[in-house]
Amino acid sequence: MKFRCEKDVLVEALANSGRAATGRASNAMMSGLRLELSGNSLQVTGRDEHLTISSDIQVAGESDGVVILPAKLALDIVRKLPSGAVEVDASDGDPKISGGRSEFSMRSMPSHEYAVPSTAEGESVVVSTQQLSDALKQVVRAASTDDARGALTGVLMSAEETGLRLVSTDSYRLAVRDLPGTTVLDEGQKVLVPSRALNELGRMLDSDEETTLILGASDVTFHTGVVSLTTGLMVEAYPPYQSVIPKDTPNRLTTGRETLSRAVDRVKLMAGENSPVRLSMDADGLKIHTINRDVGEAAEVVDAKFEGEADEITLAFNGNFLLDGLDATTGDEITLDVVNEKTAAVLRSTSSSEFLYVLMPVQVS
Amino acid sequence: MAQPNMAQPNIAEDDAEATVMHADLDAFYASVEQRDDLSLRGKPVIVGMGVVLAASYEARSHGVRTAMNAREASRLCPSAIVVEPRMSAYSQASKDVFTIFGDTTPSVEGLSIDEAFLEVGGLRRSVGSPREIAATLRARVRAEVGLTLSIGIATTKFLAKVASAVGKPDGLLEVPAGTEMDFLHPLPVRRLWGVGKVTEERLHARGVRTIGELAAVDVPTLKSWLGTASGHHMHALAHNLDPRPVVTGERRSSVGAQRALGNRGRSQAEAEVILLELVDRVTRRLRRGNRLCRTVMIRWRGHNMSTHTMSSSLENPTDSTAHLLAEAKLLLERSWPEIHRLGLGLLGFTAANLSEAAAVQMALDFTGRNINEVDTTIDAVRDRFGNSALKRGSLLKHNPTEMPVLPDPGE
Repeated sequence: MKFRCEKDVLVEALANSGRAATGRASNAMMSGLRLELSGNSLQVTGRDEHLTISSDIQVAGESDGVVILPAKLALDIVRKLPSGAVEVDASDGDPKISGGRSEFSMRSMPSHEYAVPSTAEGESVVVSTQQLSDALKQVVRAASTDDARGALTGVLMSAEETGLRLVSTDSYRLAVRDLPGTTVLDEGQKVLVPSRALNELGRMLDSDEETTLILGASDVTFHTGVVSLTTGLMVEAYPPYQSVIPKDTPNRLTTGRETLSRAVDRVKLMAGENSPVRLSMDADGLKIHTINRDVGEAAEVVDAKFEGEADEITLAFNGNFLLDGLDATTGDEITLDVVNEKTAAVLRSTSSSEFLYVLMPVQVS
Repeated sequence: MAQPNMAQPNIAEDDAEATVMHADLDAFYASVEQRDDLSLRGKPVIVGMGVVLAASYEARSHGVRTAMNAREASRLCPSAIVVEPRMSAYSQASKDVFTIFGDTTPSVEGLSIDEAFLEVGGLRRSVGSPREIAATLRARVRAEVGLTLSIGIATTKFLAKVASAVGKPDGLLEVPAGTEMDFLHPLPVRRLWGVGKVTEERLHARGVRTIGELAAVDVPTLKSWLGTASGHHMHALAHNLDPRPVVTGERRSSVGAQRALGNRGRSQAEAEVILLELVDRVTRRLRRGNRLCRTVMIRWRGHNMSTHTMSSSLENPTDSTAHLLAEAKLLLERSWPEIHRLGLGLLGFTAANLSEAAAVQMALDFTGRNINEVDTTIDAVRDRFGNSALKRGSLLKHNPTEMPVLPDPGE
């Protein structure tokens, strides 16, 4: 196998596919990238047990073939070469990468041990990349990153009457995003997709391109631009998330999203790692404050409207979780629906009903 | 140290006064037994059936030591009377003694249930000299609690601790300011804080036997012998450099419990039951003190006396028995091949990286069942009816005892 191509094009392909070849997998082969040349088409694939990322790029091909290169080393080499053409030659002996006046030759990894990558097979649906990208930013961060949490490390995609719904929770907060009009699944169908795969997908989405989604029986492939990402579907049962969204919320706070977000961010400076940020709301508005025995105190008053049964109510939140929610919500104005200091609060935008964020308070004794 | 200063002539003198006291109860558990049972007085007494938890001075003179296997202890001292530990009696005695410490000075830093540092500077005018205060303290503990207390007085914590150890049993030893080196330098290196068997052997191999000889070794050489941290530490101690003040009421940064297990082989299932008992004990103390823990550590000792620790950190701070037990079991599981090879002579569990439980992130309730409520309910029943009122299922065949602990200022 031998080809030449522009350095920047190859760097992008190696970097994108390399995200799946972290070497964390138990199989040593998975720290390698598989390069397959056919005519002028080069496919670069990286994978671990859960995730496969392939990049298809056009190169000046000389001879077809397959080679497995150490992912990190190959990327580092190509990245540091001078701009211009790069040549990869694995036609005989150790594979060589050269560019400018540099030449690197490295031990190859046996290609027959590297399973040929496959993509999901099924009906393909085109979704708006911009919508998908926004939705992933809103939802993925609320999923758990702790492998021990099973189903909570996934993002639930479910077909609702109005369209596709994405749901995630780490059991402290819950994010729900609706994509009206997007039909990917059959009505009533639900799949659970690993959030790590969606996180990687989110980084690679480029709004200039369309995204095609192919749902197979046990896996799903996202195709955008030159990159395609395939991940296995999770089989764990997702908890009944609707039950934690409070239905009767007698108190509502309405305030500016950006103003609140900035104020929380400032007050949080004194909160440290363990102290919560408190939101005290009454007819006069909203006061955000924190007390940290070791560091000090902070308070800020924010213009807000408070309506409801209670005269005054104070909720304490993990500042980071609250900021995540405010960041994920769209529009200029938000509402926070609250019951009491021990019940989850619901954050929404006043201009859109497509996203909601449920946040459990911190109990303060 | 004494800089002449005409404007404030007293400062140098005040600075140099020996006002740090280290008070240490003698052979604590065994002394409580001898106090409560006349027939044990003057006799060798061993507390602990499988493993020696404490030995009276009469038993110590036969070579019996704490943490020794009971069989070995009775071989060394066949006449010893072995008694079962009565932890609640020791807890009470400790509380009584600490109350007297608190009467003596507001500045008390507890080290364990039977020893503490006391700062008595500034009491000269109202109460008396440190020496007088120490004599009163010893007399009160003897009269009111019936136990003997050894006290060391010095300019630093470290030296006060050395002094009380040298003065034991039933002793009062003051190292007046200015005489520190005369006192310290003839002592064997083993007396230094942090010098165990291994370090002692290393120093002996290089011809260093006394603290004075150690003080003469320069820091780079010492570091090459003992490692960087230890080298600095030993050098500082040998020159009596210990600037730490007596710290009062500082909340502990970790809570732990451990159990000595003797020489018998243990299955992993048995070890897990012991772990449950330890975790149960520690988490109950966490909840009582309103603390949450973020780091879990297990500590174990092989039958060859080697000590091993393994720890892991949690995503969110918790005081839940179930969560911490799950984490501790994982650590035990990972250590098991090594434990299996070396045997399990002691198992300990420590909850570290503690924070105030003033703030607990509540979880969305998907199940309708709240795990935290189970723990608080169990605690409430035990607080009311005693420790044995409720047991976790796997502890049923087990005999958990209430270990006396140093009260946390927040509890």
